[in-house]
Amino acid sequence: MQAVVLDGSGAGDGEMGAPRELLVRELQARGWQVDTRALREAAIAPCRGCFGCWITTPGTCVIDDDNRALTRAVYDADLVALFTPITFGGYSSTLKRALDHWIPLISPFFRRFHGETHHPMRYARRLSVLGVGVLAQPDAESEDIFRNLLQRNARNLDDARHAAVVWVAGQGTQPMRAALTRGLGELEVTP
Amino acid sequence: MSAPRKVLLLVGSPRRSRSTSLSLGSYLLARLQALGWQTQMLRIVAELREDGTREALLAAVDQADLIVLATPLYLDSLPSETIRALECIARRRGDGQAPKARTFMAIVNSGFPESHQNDLALAMCRRFAAQVGMRWAGGLALGGGPAIDGQPLDRHSRALRPVAAALDVMATALDQGQPVPAQAQHLASRQCMPHWLYRLDGNLLWYRLALKRRSVTKLRARPYES
Repeated sequence: MQAVVLDGSGAGDGEMGAPRELLVRELQARGWQVDTRALREAAIAPCRGCFGCWITTPGTCVIDDDNRALTRAVYDADLVALFTPITFGGYSSTLKRALDHWIPLISPFFRRFHGETHHPMRYARRLSVLGVGVLAQPDAESEDIFRNLLQRNARNLDDARHAAVVWVAGQGTQPMRAALTRGLGELEVTP
Repeated sequence: MSAPRKVLLLVGSPRRSRSTSLSLGSYLLARLQALGWQTQMLRIVAELREDGTREALLAAVDQADLIVLATPLYLDSLPSETIRALECIARRRGDGQAPKARTFMAIVNSGFPESHQNDLALAMCRRFAAQVGMRWAGGLALGGGPAIDGQPLDRHSRALRPVAAALDVMATALDQGQPVPAQAQHLASRQCMPHWLYRLDGNLLWYRLALKRRSVTKLRARPYES
């Protein structure tokens, strides 16, 4: 089964290399075929907020760049790993630029879901999303925001299977591996 | 006589026109200007062009006493370029070039009628302020953004008066160096219509827009299944 790792680290995020390699190795060790996309090297224009992907070319972003292939890869994947330096509690701008182009995967129509207004997914296929965030140092508030963000995203993706893993740079391989194992266990998706 | 205080509005919407973030931010800016503030507005996307140096953005931040971020909600968070602007500001802070701005606040609007869906984005703004050493003056979460649809707020219907009133309350508080009062959020959270009607109206809007583009039959297209 295919896992796509969307690598949201920037050119200057030197501490991200080792955690990214650990993530890829651990997924491969569990039998996943891993496709890593270095988003900083991708040509992706920011989402324009035009809703063209809903009403002009439904299901496809009107911007013809790498965002289309990336979003397609997300749709095709059995597991999507969002790898990012935790930035003010959320995703890095590099990762978010790709995520903002997930709107074509979503239907424009409103509905009531979990007591709130949401959009259903365009496709029946249920996504499995693993958020792996790296903190430069322990930061409980940022960690809390990151975990809540994964939950909120999952709700907006038709209750996607989801889990959040938070690593602290330099904390050592064993605790990082243990946190990843817990996260993958929550996802209940295995190759 | 002291120099007028400076407020910088950063607009996070990528839209060049019909930006609700711009409507909200501009209204607040006008109120602060009336109270004697010197105002400046920058569109983040324009300031972060790939070939740009971002110096104008960083210089404006350096000179401001108060920064107001007005931005839409994208996937439960801030739009990518808004995050990038905050990253730039934080990096500058890390370089030891401390910006003058001491106070930061945010207005986040979304297309969902429930204002609380913006809460996480506001939490990120609060975290940014803490990390760069700015005082967090609070935020305003606004649902039902399409009801404003980028039009000037003071020309709007009676239904949107609570939003204008919320911004009036905010302007007064900020002018007095106070955080955003709870009353402002209370006013902004007032429903302009029942949520079921909002959803129905929104769904009809998509059909109307698709009719103009002759794409009604494709609205539920699933191109990746082919």
